[in-house]
Parts: sequence; C-alpha cells; structure tokens
Amino acid sequence: MLRWKYSRPLLIAITIIFAVLPFLGSNPLAKAGLQQTMAVAFLFGALALTYDLLFGFTGLLSFGHALYFASGIYVTAILINDFNWHFLLAILGAIIFTSVLAALTGGAALRTTGITFAMVTLAFGQAGHVFISRDFGGFTNGDDGLPVNPDRLPDFFIGVVNTKYLYLLALGILVFIYFAAWWITESSAGRVFAALRDNEQRVSVLGLNPNRFKLLSFVLSAAMAALIGAVMLIVSGSGSPRYAAADITIALLLMVILGGPVTRWGAVLGGILYSVLSTRLNVLSEGTAFDSLPSFIGGPLSEPAFTLGLIFILIVMFAPGGISGAYYRARFKYLNKGK
Amino acid sequence: MSTFLLILITGVGLGALYFLVASGLSLIYGLMGVLNFAHGAFLTIGAFTGLWISTKVFPNPTTWTFIAAMFAGGIAAGLFALLMEQLVINRLYNRHIDQALVTVGVSLVVTALIGGWFGFDARFLPTPLWFMKAVTIGEAIIPIDRFIYIGVAAILLTAMLSILKFTRIGLIIRAGVENRSMVSALGINVRLAFSTVFFIGGFAAGVGGVLISVFSYGVSPLMGGSWLIYGFIVVVVGGMGSVTGSAIAAMLIGITNQFANYYLTGLGDFVVVIILAAVLLTKPSGLLGKVNH
Repeated sequence: MLRWKYSRPLLIAITIIFAVLPFLGSNPLAKAGLQQTMAVAFLFGALALTYDLLFGFTGLLSFGHALYFASGIYVTAILINDFNWHFLLAILGAIIFTSVLAALTGGAALRTTGITFAMVTLAFGQAGHVFISRDFGGFTNGDDGLPVNPDRLPDFFIGVVNTKYLYLLALGILVFIYFAAWWITESSAGRVFAALRDNEQRVSVLGLNPNRFKLLSFVLSAAMAALIGAVMLIVSGSGSPRYAAADITIALLLMVILGGPVTRWGAVLGGILYSVLSTRLNVLSEGTAFDSLPSFIGGPLSEPAFTLGLIFILIVMFAPGGISGAYYRARFKYLNKGK
Repeated sequence: MSTFLLILITGVGLGALYFLVASGLSLIYGLMGVLNFAHGAFLTIGAFTGLWISTKVFPNPTTWTFIAAMFAGGIAAGLFALLMEQLVINRLYNRHIDQALVTVGVSLVVTALIGGWFGFDARFLPTPLWFMKAVTIGEAIIPIDRFIYIGVAAILLTAMLSILKFTRIGLIIRAGVENRSMVSALGINVRLAFSTVFFIGGFAAGVGGVLISVFSYGVSPLMGGSWLIYGFIVVVVGGMGSVTGSAIAAMLIGITNQFANYYLTGLGDFVVVIILAAVLLTKPSGLLGKVNH
C-alpha cells in the first residue's frame, strides 16, 4: 500500500505516461480511435471534478450542471460561427456568459435548499435543454446539432492525423481543472464550502453569509464546466442537445459516487472509468459478446446503463465512498496494522 | 371560443395525467423525505404491463380490456414500488441523499432492462375504437380521450383523499407527513405507512403510464424520464406532501402549458419553468406545502 508522500509523484508519473504514449508508436494509444475515446473521457473526468466541487465539497445536490457545460459548448460555437470571433476569445466569452447565467439561475435556486434545490436546478436545466433542442431564435440548430466551422479552428486540431493534439489538449485541460479545483478547495473560501456542507448553521453563527459562498461555489464550478464544454466542442467538432440533457448531470453524479466524492482524484477516476466503460460496453454489445446468452439476459447486458446502474446501486448501498473511499479505508487499516 | 374550450379541456386532461404522476411523488416525499427518481420507472412498468394485457392477453380491445389493462398496469407498478421500498429504500433508513441516489440507479436499471427486452422504439397500445371519437360541446369538437384522463384522475383523487381521511392507515400517513418522529414515538408502526404510500404512488403512476401511452400514441422505455420532470415541477409548485396541492398545481400547469403552446407558439415548457420560479420566489414551500424536512 502506498504512503502519502509517494502518491503525488505517482499522479504526476501517470499523467506524463499518458501524455507521451500517443507519440511512442505500437501501443493502443497510438491509434486515433482510442485517442478520441480517451480525450472525451479526460473531459468527463474534469467535468465530474467540477461537479464534485459542488456536490461533494459544498454539499449542493444540483441536477442542472449539464446546462453550464452545454452553455460553454453552444456559446463558443455561436461566437465562432456567427460572430467570427477568434476561438480563444470565443471560449473566454462563453465562460463569462455562463458565469452570468449561473449567477442568475443559481441565485434564484439558492433561495431553496436540499431536495427542493435539486428539483429547481433540474427544471432550469430542462428549460435549457428545451431551448437548445427546439432552436429558439435560430441559434442552436435544434436536434441536428451545431457543428463548429473548422476553418476558424487552428489546423493542428483538424483531421484524424491530428487527434493526438486533441488528446493532449483534453489531458491539459484535465490537469488545469485538477489544479484549479485543488487551489479552490484548499483556499479559505474552500474551507467555508466544506463547513457549509457539514454544518451550515455554524457558518452563519460565525458571521459568514452561507448563500454568498454557495453561490460562489456554484458559479466557479459552472465557469469551469463552460471551459470544459468549449474544449469538448473542439474535440468532438459539434454541439448536440444531448449535452444539455438531465442524463448528463445524472451521469456526473454516478461518476462522482463511483470514484468517491471529496477526494478530487476519485471524481476524475470515476469520470474517466464511467466514460470509457460506457463506450466500451457499447462496442461489446455491438459485437457478438452477448450472442451466446439467452436474449432475456443478453438484451439488458448490452445496455451500458444496466451494468452501470447496478454498480451504482451496489456502491451506494454497500460501499459509500466509492473507489477512493475504499482505497483510503484500506490505507488506514494498513497504517494502523502494527498498533 | 371553440378553440379556447378545446385548449382548456386538453389542458385539464394533461393536468390529470400530471396529477397521476405527481400525487405519489408528493406523498412519498412528504412522508419519508425520499425524492423518488424511480417514479418514472413505475410509470414505464405500468405502461408496458398495459401493453402486454392489451396485445397478448386480450388482443381485441374493448372498454373492459382497457380497464383491465389500467388495473394491471397500476398493480404491477405498485408491487414494483413495494419491492423497491422493501429491498432498497428500507435499508438506507434516514439517509435521504443516498435514498434519492439509489432511486436514480433503480430508474437507470429498469429503463435499460425494459429497453434491452423490448427495444427503444415506441410501440402502439391498442385502445377501444370509441377512444378515437370526439364530442361536440357548443361549437367545439373535443377528442373524447381527454375526458377519460380527467375521469380516471378524478376517481383516483377521490380514492386517495378517502383513504387519507377515513382509514386508520390514512390517519397515520397524514400524521407522519406532519411529524414522523412523533408518530413513531407514540408507538405506531410507521413502516406500514411507508409501504402503503409506495404502493399507492406506484399504482397511480402505473395507471398514469397506461393513459400516457394513449395520450402520446406509444409506449417506450424512455417515457418515464420525460414525464418525471413534470411530476417534480408539479410537486414543487403544489407543495410537498399534499395530494390536493398536487391536483391544483397539476391543473394549473397543464392548462398554462396548453395555452402557452397555442398562443406563444410552443413556449409551454418555458412558461412552466417561469411559474415554478415565481412560486418558489414568493412561497418556497409551494402552494399547499406542509413539510419542512
């Protein structure tokens, strides 16, 4: 079992290995297909971490986080396509727009708490999904999705040969979000977030305004989700109403629970695992892996949601804390073995 | 005027369907503090049971086979709700967030299971022929299915209110919504009330599922999820734990949705969210809210 002082260098080493593998020839990651899958998985890992900031660290159960992710995707695409903005400027514009949107919707939703807060954010997210899929105002191209104009993106992000740069971009954003989340959760505001989760009343007794800090956490995680969304646009090439659906937020919740909340790396690992598993299980189901089974077992097994949902139920019921929780429990046991 | 009447009655019909989904959600949350994401799955189970009855068991749809389909849908969904409460919710006693999370898992598994067995394409649920007819009120021509939704919802509303008002278990449920710990402290078995509420909620959602299949011309594994969100909105607007509140809010939202869709060209869903925001900003506990968990 690892000691604490070794685990940080281990994270850095894993990151470096992932960064160089696509350039080393003759390994699975040298192929564009897996690079694309992993790029998307890295982005979902980062997105799960922004959700962990909200749900795990601050204790806010939001069901509308996908709205801000989709806002990052669509505002970037619209600014690039319709307004001819430089892509970096468009990303910045999307982050600012999303922060304002999050401040307004979050401000309204934070008048409620607990489960009602969850439902209000769900309704806001749903309104966003309807807005995008019905194409109000003619900005979003509705259910067909909104492709970004490739001429306005740098050449090294275009084409299958260049998938490795998209992969690196996604990995870079994951590292950036990881450090940003680290910095936020270890800052004094981050301590207040955790205090709000544990005992809101004591925070107000100490003279701090709970709602102001909740809103700060809400807006920060939304702004980071918008950045990840903008990068998702570059990696996948187009926006889709799917990204705004409540399913995405529920998937984020699953990722955080799977990896374990409040540990940062747990959420990232959960996000990457969930994303890879749901793509890989899809591939399995399209192949012949389940053909030998009777159809009443094989049918559900070929649906990734069945397996993932079952794992999720088992984790919530029997292993709260997910993967990282189990790791820390085991480490605690190991360190206390001699005593 | 005839358009107005058509939209009004369609809105009430839609509200009746919302009520069937929302009433159980509201009671379950009111009594146990469980936000039940699996309620959409109850609806889907009801709809598929109804489909099975009206295609495989009684291939020639008549009024009676449709009533049988509704009952079977309600009972199947109610039993599933009971099973979930016993096997899963009960073991997470007082862990409210975990209870909500586990229902998310159940809804994913059920949707995938049904999708894996029957596929995700919508299937047509056969109905008696007279469902397709319309009645004339004044100058307005109104499809008859609207009245079926309203009638069924009215019967279930009356039944639920009677159970709550006139039976012992109803008394325990009402007391439990007000103050659960006090009821247990008096030595009354609240667990039985939990199971009852889950069965009633599941039953209403299952019946709703069969009717929604008629309303939206098809049965699909994904139908539960999209109606669940409206159920949540109705529950929040009506107030947690109040069946009457759910009924009023369901009508309000159904009617507004239809009028906004007609006069504001498809903006119905937005107006619903605006109503939700307005109610929460002025009265966060909802119109007839009783619970402060």
